[in-house]
Amino acid sequence: MNIHEYISSGIIESYVLGLASEEERREFEEMCVSHPELAEARNSFELALEEQALKNAVPPPAGLKEKVWSAISHTTSPSKVINMETSRRSAGWGWVAAASIFLFLGAAYFAVTFYNRNKRLETSNENLVTRINQTDSLLNKITEEQKIMSDPNIMVVNMVGTQKATPGSASVYWDSTSSNVYLVVKNMPKLPSDKQYQLWALIEGKPHDLGLFDPHAEVILKMKNTQKADAFAITIENRGNTGGPNLEQLQSMGKAKL
Amino acid sequence: MSPYTKYSEQELVSLLLKQDNQAFSYLYDHYSPALFGIINQIVLDSETAADVLQDVFVNIWRKINSYDETKGRLFTWMLNIARNAAIDKIRSRPYRQSIKNQPLEENVNNTASRLAPQVNDIGLKKVVGKLKEEYRILIDLSYFQGFTHEEISRILDLPLGTVKTRIRSALMQLRTMIS
Repeated sequence: MNIHEYISSGIIESYVLGLASEEERREFEEMCVSHPELAEARNSFELALEEQALKNAVPPPAGLKEKVWSAISHTTSPSKVINMETSRRSAGWGWVAAASIFLFLGAAYFAVTFYNRNKRLETSNENLVTRINQTDSLLNKITEEQKIMSDPNIMVVNMVGTQKATPGSASVYWDSTSSNVYLVVKNMPKLPSDKQYQLWALIEGKPHDLGLFDPHAEVILKMKNTQKADAFAITIENRGNTGGPNLEQLQSMGKAKL
Repeated sequence: MSPYTKYSEQELVSLLLKQDNQAFSYLYDHYSPALFGIINQIVLDSETAADVLQDVFVNIWRKINSYDETKGRLFTWMLNIARNAAIDKIRSRPYRQSIKNQPLEENVNNTASRLAPQVNDIGLKKVVGKLKEEYRILIDLSYFQGFTHEEISRILDLPLGTVKTRIRSALMQLRTMIS
């Protein structure tokens, strides 16, 4: 195809109107450089097109020019195109930053949530362990009590209340072979906080201390050992009493029959 | 050089490159109606067309340093920016939804609505309207609706070679009509 055929092939119009393919465009641009008459023909079509467009102009709405001005004053200028690119890129980084802050906040939220949940689980776990320990020790005491009660060597002395107003009752489990003394409180009235009950063994008319105790113990209490006892007595004494019994405050008594 | 300019094109371009407000103001006053005319032939809703025109001038301001005078006239460059922006607009989802049109690709074989004569009989389109039917359709699809030759070949069920030859012939006729 010679240049004249090329000129009249429709490529000029196709190129100018933006309908040519990328390959056609490249070829055309190269041809324009090497063939000035082609560039000239292109230019005359462009002029015709421009004239045609100017003749068929449609006035844009009033106020649009101001909108354009305000839009470009916000963005800027041709010479700052690179700045614009970077600012656009930094806007991109802005999104990344925003996203990472968002992710961080999300992660922090989950961390706090899981920390709290873990804390709650730990607490409830500790509570369970405490309860298990309490239950275990209670079970041990009950087992021990059961063992004592079913031991054939043990003598049971039922303590009978001596005060009508406050009928205290308890049982002493006394193993005369091993000298062990256990006390099971059945019904002893509560005492002021400075007072305690005290168990005594009466041997040949003399009281021997077997230990102080508080009445609220719900299971068996291990008291001091005694090899002998004619009877047992419970008195109310000052908390931590080291002296003899206050027999006026004798609460319960029981005879040990050997 | 266009007989309508008070600046020469080179003067205008070099002033625009220096961000000369007066030159840009002149450019807008002088060319916006012509570009608005073209945009209106593609985007049929004039409010949307005005939005497109605004974007076009913002882009002209921003991209003036990508204009290469060896490749064509300033107006041609601006015209192509305007046409591309208008076609992008009519292909955008919000616009298609707003005119209750169906997606272009899914509907590429349904040509009835597309080939119906457009009410907008102004400017280049008016000239195109004088072309014979088979040319008119080709120019409408390629220039005003932005379909590629391959798409048109599928839409009209014509061989790609035929589409290319006919579009070239149509363009040649168009040229004689506007020159």
